[in-house]
Amino acid sequence: MKNIGTKLAAVAFLAFVASPAYAGKGGSAAKIKDAIRSGSVDAITAEIERAESLTCSECVQAVTNLLEDDRYAVREVAAWWFAKRPGLKDLVAATMVDDLANGSTIKVRNAADFLGRTVTYTSLPTLRVAINRDNIGPEGKLAMVRAVSYMGHIGGNPVLTTAMADRDAGVRAAAVTAWRDILGQTSAAPVAGLLADADANVRAAAATTVGGMGHVAAAAQLETMVVSDADPVVRRNAAWALGKLGQQSSRIALATASTDNSGLVRMTARAALASLK
Amino acid sequence: MKTYMKTIAIGTALLTAAGAGCGSDDSSGPLGNVDSLIVLQRPARNDMGDIFQYTSYKPKTESGINARLVKLEPPTADGTQTVICCDKAGPEFANVDISGYDISFDAKQIVFSGKLANNQNYGLFLLTLADGSVDQIPTDPARDYVSPIFLPGDKIMFTTNSIVESGARQHRDEYERGTTLQLGRINIDGTGEELGARNLSHRTFPTLMSDGRVMFTQWDHLGGMNAGHLMFVNQDMTNLREAFGKEGTGASNSTLKAQEISPGRFVAIATSRSRTIQAGALVDVRLGISETVDGSVMARERQSEANASYKDLTPDVPHDNMPSADTVGRYYDAYALNAKDKPDLIVSWANGPVESSVLGLAGLSADFGVFLLDTQRNQKHPLINHEEMWDIFPRPLTTRPVPSISGSAIDPTLGGASMIGSMNVYESSLKTFAPGSIYGVRVMEGFSSEEGFPEMFGTTMFEGQANLGVARVQADGSWLAKVPANVPLHVQTVDTFGMSMFSEPVWVSARANEARVCGGCHESRDRPTVIDPGQTDAFAVGATNMYGLTPRANRMSSDTSRDKVMGVGWSNTVQRIFDNNCLGCHDSRNIAGVQPYTITDPVAGTSIQWTFNLEGTPLPATFAEIGGEPAFTASYFSIAGPDMEAIEMGGLMVSGNFKVYASPENARDSILIKMLNPKRQFPTQTNERAFATSPHMAAVGQGGDLTADEFYQLILNIDMGVNFYARENNPGLNVY
Repeated sequence: MKNIGTKLAAVAFLAFVASPAYAGKGGSAAKIKDAIRSGSVDAITAEIERAESLTCSECVQAVTNLLEDDRYAVREVAAWWFAKRPGLKDLVAATMVDDLANGSTIKVRNAADFLGRTVTYTSLPTLRVAINRDNIGPEGKLAMVRAVSYMGHIGGNPVLTTAMADRDAGVRAAAVTAWRDILGQTSAAPVAGLLADADANVRAAAATTVGGMGHVAAAAQLETMVVSDADPVVRRNAAWALGKLGQQSSRIALATASTDNSGLVRMTARAALASLK
Repeated sequence: MKTYMKTIAIGTALLTAAGAGCGSDDSSGPLGNVDSLIVLQRPARNDMGDIFQYTSYKPKTESGINARLVKLEPPTADGTQTVICCDKAGPEFANVDISGYDISFDAKQIVFSGKLANNQNYGLFLLTLADGSVDQIPTDPARDYVSPIFLPGDKIMFTTNSIVESGARQHRDEYERGTTLQLGRINIDGTGEELGARNLSHRTFPTLMSDGRVMFTQWDHLGGMNAGHLMFVNQDMTNLREAFGKEGTGASNSTLKAQEISPGRFVAIATSRSRTIQAGALVDVRLGISETVDGSVMARERQSEANASYKDLTPDVPHDNMPSADTVGRYYDAYALNAKDKPDLIVSWANGPVESSVLGLAGLSADFGVFLLDTQRNQKHPLINHEEMWDIFPRPLTTRPVPSISGSAIDPTLGGASMIGSMNVYESSLKTFAPGSIYGVRVMEGFSSEEGFPEMFGTTMFEGQANLGVARVQADGSWLAKVPANVPLHVQTVDTFGMSMFSEPVWVSARANEARVCGGCHESRDRPTVIDPGQTDAFAVGATNMYGLTPRANRMSSDTSRDKVMGVGWSNTVQRIFDNNCLGCHDSRNIAGVQPYTITDPVAGTSIQWTFNLEGTPLPATFAEIGGEPAFTASYFSIAGPDMEAIEMGGLMVSGNFKVYASPENARDSILIKMLNPKRQFPTQTNERAFATSPHMAAVGQGGDLTADEFYQLILNIDMGVNFYARENNPGLNVY
């Protein structure tokens, strides 16, 4: 709570100077507070959205508190509300960047979600350092990956490559998925190594990324995966990826996969066969 | 509370059933020739308040019941319910959630959109009814594919957040924050996936018409336009055309989930975009002139928005996002069983306050059940209502005619670009142009924050725009331009001073190699127009090349001269004009003595004062709430003004010498442009002035004069929405 108090102190100054208690049309601080009291994500989301352009110091305090809610959907809509008020956003962002560097897992999580959702590019250098912290749990690292994914800035690549080597499979899978949607991303080479990951979700995500990015060098490994991986989702994604790569060398593997026991795989393999060059 | 709500719902259902029972006989009624219904049952939820929400995933109810497709046979309240999917499809489907489906023309297959696990996306699946087998149709595993419908020729149309443009990110909606959905199609065997051209916001809920076209809901957001309208497109996703909701014809902010009743006639949901759980009133939309043929009412002749009308089938149901009253409720979906003047419908309806905030506060979810609705008597006859599930999208399991295949002329010689144009731009149902007054048509590309911008491009609520050029209008009123395919485009007619005469208030788009030529500038839609661009002067001259094959990343200008300028970033291009010409009188010293204005909060009694200042200095922190992005400058705030939505929503009062010097999309009537009195731009730049008044600099005897290129930069910035940000000053392109 000490941290949220600091943030409130920061925004309170600006809120006081600018507009302490604007009355809105439809939305209100009271409605936001009622929604928060209900605990309902849907009610909170609805009232925050309704208050898109409403400004009042009571709202600022209430929405600031939501930045530390345990539920991502709540933190996300609260950050959006701040993104619509860039002056306030910058004040909060400054304390959030400190949390990235020094905070606990939960504080890092909250900070990363805020900084990502508000597209605070200036936090990228800190994110690149913070992802290497060994005293941060998966929840914090997932949020850092999410932040980079939302920003889509190539300056976040080191965050993703570090996350791809994380102990937690969820972090690795999220980083692999995020890699493809970074603006200006040119190569899937850093992802290819995760085709052999011990976790099926990571392998499935890696297959999608290398296929979606046309990483032909991965074809042989995908051909093995499409016929022998134990997980049908991995086999499906490998088949889809091979279709994207379109290599004639994949024909035998895809023909085998077209009679796969799983309904997830069969048609994907047949369609991939039809797309071979 | 929850128990009470359910009691009310059940009680109402019993009452309506009893009412329908008086003189009603299912065996000979509107469902008399229907053997069975298919119904989608989804675990009840409340996270789909917005009409474009498509990622909600809740596979099981609290008691462990899965999302499923159910057959009701016969289609009566005591009919037998049989689960047809996906309990026998294999362990991969143990946690499937299903969001939508369609029945094939021969009623032997069902295509549905399903999500297998929280870490996966919605994909497409094909259920064969004869054996219950399910095969996944291959789509990009990292993207969502929803709202599938069968098309003739063994194809399936869908909406998806997959991206047609390599290297780009999908547009993001600025309000509900979702990655936007666009149209696509794929062969039923999983080959040949094609993605349609992109709108700047969502396209959703496609439905096939008997004439072969596809109708869907498009969110139109361009400046003041912010609404969901019905649009037509051919099956190959070409020939985009408005259907209903624009030109003041709409029944509500949003019209969605249209289903054809008869040719030219549809039943649809009329509602507001947010908090309505995608549900609302039922409207009977007639696009043309109503006629009765063999007892069926249709509206196939002279279809146009100008001739469109609607009847409110459920007058008590709110069209906005107010909570609906008890016994009134809201409708999620409707399907017509006949084409009577007041048709019989099978509907999905929920009682009580179907509004996400109210339901969320009470810890409830809307309880949609399936009913037979007699719109003549306004009676609902319950068919299915599982208390833990949403019972939605009821459809007769029966064969239906296969419409003809619709497509448009594709011109491979375009090489991947699109060609747009008009036969005669003076033909317009929206604006009367003086003969010879139009110099050309300016085409602009739209984008949103996904390219790396902050949430707001400026205080005027416009999206990002890049000028692609001006195509000269020929003697016969025709024009043609080759433009980038698949991107949102916005057109303006401009005069010889380069100023907008009229802005088409929507985004349009065209596919690669599509020639998208209209009759005019939104010409009358109920008059036959022969579209043959080969007959026009513009065709003889050749289409103006507007970066049709230039990659997105290169569609920005380092040269800001008239024919090269694309984006007009405030902090670089516009500020340079002020720095070079205006600061002698209009810097923070205010030597010109411009009187200030004051913004007051009448509740708190606080106020802030602003004095005209054209410096590029950051806006003071005290203006952050009403002035937007901290990067916005004093000059931007002085010219563009505050965020008027914040002023209005905040109930603030503005007094003193308040002026907004630039009116978005209207340079001609903007104070700044009137004062400066710009020079002629087209066909060549001259010193001829647009207005009879003395140019400001000459009148006050200070400063020099702007160059013709500088005038055009100012005009272009204003006619593209008075944005602060353009690609040329995109913070996302910096190194961090």
